[in-house]
Amino acid sequence: MMRIFSSYRTEIAIAVAIVVLELALGILVPNALTFGNISDIAQASAPLIIMAVGVLLVVITGGIDLSVGSIFSLTGMVTGLAMNSGYNSVLSTILGLLVGVVFGGINGFLVTFVGLAPFVVTLITYAVAASLAFIVTNGHSLPINDQNYYLLNGGTLIPGVPNFVLFCVVLVIVTEFVLRRVVAGRWVYAIGSSTNAARLLGIPVHRIRFSVYVVSGLCASFASVLSVSYISNAEGTAGEAMMLQAIAAVVIGGASLFGGTGSAFGALLGALMITVIQNGVNLIGINSFWQGSVTGLVILVAVLIDRVSKARR
Amino acid sequence: MADKGFLLDARGITKSYGPTHVLRGMDFAVAPGEVHAFLGGNGAGKSTLLKIVADVVNRDGGTLNFDGHSVDEPQGAAARARGLAIVHQELAVLPHLTVAENIELPHYHRGLALFDRRAADRTALSALALIDRDFAEHAAHRLVGDLSLHEQQMVEIARALKSGARLLLLDEPTTNLTAGEAQRLFAVLRRLVSETEIGVVFVSHRMREIRQVADVCTIIRDGVAAVHRKPVTELTDADIVELMGQASALTETPVGGELPAAVSAAHVDAPRLKIEGLGFPVEVGGGAILGLAGAPAGPQALIDLLIGAAPLPGVVIRIGDHPQGYRSPREAVRDKVGFVSGDRANRGMLSALPIIDNMLASRRIVERRVLVSGKEAAQARSLLSALSIKASSYWALPSSLSGGTQQKLIIARWLQLQPRMLVLEEPTRGVDIGTKRDIYALIRVMAQAGTTIVWWSTEQTELVELCDTVLGFGPDGRATQLLHGAEITEERLAEATGMAA
Amino acid sequence: MPRQPGLRYLLAAACAVIGLATVAAHPASAADKKLTVAYIAPSLDISYWQWVAYGAKTQAAKLGMNYVEFTSENSPGTQMNNVRTALTRGVDAIVMGPVSSSSTPPILRLLKSKNVPIAFTGIGPQPGSTDYTSAVTANNYETGKAEGSFVCKAAKALGGNKIGMLSLPQDRENAQKYLRGAKEAFAADGCDLVQVLQTHGLTVREAVDQANDLLTAHPDIKGIYGMYDEAATGAAKALQTRGLVGKITVATADGSPTTIKLLRDGVIQGLFLQEAGGQGIDATTQVFNALTGKPTTKDIPLAEPLVTKDTIDSPEAQATIKRVYPPSAGAF
Ligand SMILES: Nc1ncnc2c1ncn2[C@@H]1O[C@H](COP(=O)(O)OP(=O)(O)OP(=O)(O)O)[C@@H](O)[C@H]1O
Ligand SMILES: [Mg+2]
Repeated sequence: MMRIFSSYRTEIAIAVAIVVLELALGILVPNALTFGNISDIAQASAPLIIMAVGVLLVVITGGIDLSVGSIFSLTGMVTGLAMNSGYNSVLSTILGLLVGVVFGGINGFLVTFVGLAPFVVTLITYAVAASLAFIVTNGHSLPINDQNYYLLNGGTLIPGVPNFVLFCVVLVIVTEFVLRRVVAGRWVYAIGSSTNAARLLGIPVHRIRFSVYVVSGLCASFASVLSVSYISNAEGTAGEAMMLQAIAAVVIGGASLFGGTGSAFGALLGALMITVIQNGVNLIGINSFWQGSVTGLVILVAVLIDRVSKARR
Repeated sequence: MADKGFLLDARGITKSYGPTHVLRGMDFAVAPGEVHAFLGGNGAGKSTLLKIVADVVNRDGGTLNFDGHSVDEPQGAAARARGLAIVHQELAVLPHLTVAENIELPHYHRGLALFDRRAADRTALSALALIDRDFAEHAAHRLVGDLSLHEQQMVEIARALKSGARLLLLDEPTTNLTAGEAQRLFAVLRRLVSETEIGVVFVSHRMREIRQVADVCTIIRDGVAAVHRKPVTELTDADIVELMGQASALTETPVGGELPAAVSAAHVDAPRLKIEGLGFPVEVGGGAILGLAGAPAGPQALIDLLIGAAPLPGVVIRIGDHPQGYRSPREAVRDKVGFVSGDRANRGMLSALPIIDNMLASRRIVERRVLVSGKEAAQARSLLSALSIKASSYWALPSSLSGGTQQKLIIARWLQLQPRMLVLEEPTRGVDIGTKRDIYALIRVMAQAGTTIVWWSTEQTELVELCDTVLGFGPDGRATQLLHGAEITEERLAEATGMAA
Repeated sequence: MPRQPGLRYLLAAACAVIGLATVAAHPASAADKKLTVAYIAPSLDISYWQWVAYGAKTQAAKLGMNYVEFTSENSPGTQMNNVRTALTRGVDAIVMGPVSSSSTPPILRLLKSKNVPIAFTGIGPQPGSTDYTSAVTANNYETGKAEGSFVCKAAKALGGNKIGMLSLPQDRENAQKYLRGAKEAFAADGCDLVQVLQTHGLTVREAVDQANDLLTAHPDIKGIYGMYDEAATGAAKALQTRGLVGKITVATADGSPTTIKLLRDGVIQGLFLQEAGGQGIDATTQVFNALTGKPTTKDIPLAEPLVTKDTIDSPEAQATIKRVYPPSAGAF
């Protein structure tokens, strides 16, 4: 028990911060703590959570993935275009997910086998995917006309639990399990901890590093199809703001950009934190010019709380 | 066939790095049931050969058989993959993972397997207990990044010991261990060798250790085997040193021709050093050599205090006109207080910068340089030749240097600066016998010029030979005794450091 | 050194691609003596400006002109560079959606010295400027007023007078004008603007979240005033999930295939069509006139006519929609 507490110190600190924020918000705005608003927050954070989990894996290896936002946009456009050209929704979704796999694969290939810096590589794919997202439909956004497509996001595979919640929970738990308990997961940390040592120890550095980029791309794509399913609309700028949010979520959740640390629960909480702040700022009605400052300050406080709790060992 | 029965048989191995021919047809064979000392000067190519054997570096030519099969064939490659464990000279640890994971993770080969924490904990405990029971008991769940260098070294060794390998390659495993720990390691090695018929390759620059643990030796010089598989008992110390090409080292007062020129003998205005709060007062004047003895905890904390890296509660130091000591290493360096770290990889080398910047790092701060000056090239060249450092160019990265050569580089930083005080952490760590002599001579010259020297070493012979005063620390990090002049003997030191065998 | 077997293949592939691209980038020689017009958009990732581009491009083709386009990525600096590049390429006229009105004076000075005509679309030049051919703009203030009173009346019909607004970023001039108009209308008609949420990314997803937050914070609003197309799409989505369609009125400026469909389906009630394509068409015509010595019109404020479910199929409405977006964007 103590062990769990101490190895999830950061996560607990953020969870507490989120709860405090929500309670404070509940005092300021009467409807903030209603079921409706909480489920709005869950829905709004779902794509970010999924994307952040993918980015997390890359960050643990000491890399970075700047391309997730544009992969998100491009996936939406490809899925939407496929549907509008008469493919059925399952096939269109698979096509969309392929976008993530392909771009993730390109990232992984360039980083791992060509040896380019992750920042540069994903900056390139970020730019390329972003422009492709406009090229595929000439910049038009696409409505999704399949009346049943919303079921991917809003349906209930398990009665009473909307799919987006299910997907997030399953993804986070599985990822956390893999990271903590499965050898490949420990290898991910090993690579981030010291690539050179990992190589000397015979850990398949190349294979693992390649894989995390593919998974990151796939997560971004999956987040995108969920989002398309939710808003019945695909647009070329959809993911633009999300890349920085995903990286922020991962870092707020305790991952170090130098690699070697981070957890899926942390990424989940980081994403929730960002969404909760956004929601709170809107509910209170803070002028949008101030929103960036408020968000920055709250994140600073959250990270400081984490720091202080760690220093007290 | 002659190679029947050898666990490892390497013939005619060649390897070059660009224009540097490191190995020029090196032979090396290890039989089961022996501890094989592999000797040679710094930069001779020992680590390179071991890395080739372990498949970390590719060889240019030669044959390599493991257990009678060529490693170029699947059978031999598989036998090697299963049967070989190596402890690299530069530690290969994963700082963000726990001790148990560091020991067990490399033994998993399938990524989708579940990592069995309990089993890992058990293995880690039993492996570490072979060398240090106390450490083993509280260590399994700690992060390796939080451990001291010598604890990390033990983790590395434990990993190799528990791997079930039939051939252990230990590249200077004892440089980061205390005398007591090294003794326990040797006992384990001897037992393993006699009980399980494994082969152990052991690299060290300490003659005494070699005598103690090794059965046979191979000496490498100029890229070939100067001595191939000779029982250690058939060679005298002088023979070995001669064969390594360092004959001058043992003979006379070992000041190489150029050294005094490198260290300007201009008189240094050295401060008096006073330390209070250790239980007894310690005070040394300019030109003294103060030795620190004992397990790392105590000496390292004191050193951090001396150089302004970290405070040490309860201990007050007074260095000349700095009654409170220094608040930061920068302040110390600007006051010409030098520091040579024992943790080369993490606290010594600036690994991304070329040799020249590494050598001149301290000078630039002492002299408050703003611009990288043109004179530096000349200064760098004179330092390289003063220490006979083998480097292709001073624009090369330190990672292209052998371990011992990197150590020389760090010491070189302070050579021409006439420091007021010089704090040395295991400065002879990993340097060969000849260079060790040179370093001793350098230290003496500096002390004579008035520099106060503080020297931590785990090699007690070294302290006995050089120091005027020695401060002993027990295993718990507490200061125990202060020894002066003739009191400094190996017996008294062992007693003071709680390491009486 | 880690081995990097991929490097060689990659280099080969990159060389091949660059080679092909170089060949492809040199089509037939550009010797023809046609006039060329450049369209400089503030940022082409917003569909509105793409539609302006479409209008300019089709009109240029119709008038027998060559057409090139640039995007300024919302930066006055890039915009200036684009103008210079266009001049270097020898364009004869410029159609521009400026990044902001205040970014225009240096451009006007430069173009005057080179004697190149310029027409503005969407956003006009700095007030007081004279050295331009034409400014084809939407009348944001009047539209804001009209939309305000439309939403207010509809809200009152639904039994309330509280309105929430999904606004463009208020650092934009058109957003300020819409808001000013809307506020005046609300004051005159007795409605209460309870909250204004500004967009950052102009995405539907953001608008959905904002509409949800709006409805949570103010459950009693009866009207949502949208300033941009995605706002209405997002608000519609939020109302649909909450089962509030028809209980809260939604109107917006702009218009797109998506919002027109929502209008037909009765999810949103009013669209104030902004003739994006039409602006491009008119601006191109004006610079062409200037080049060929025909008369030009300095200021062309285009109205943003209201369409509703009932009027959408009228011939006038259909004609206007055709001046909003290209057929490739979707159904009219
Ligand atoms: N990656 C590299 N690039 C270039 N030169 C290298 C590289 N690695 C080693 N060398 C050179 O090879 C030679 C042998 O180095 P090696 O590390 O094998 O020496 P060593 O015998 O282990 O010495 P030490 O006792 O100091 O550890 C040195 O001259 C070194 O500079
Ligand atoms: Mg070596």
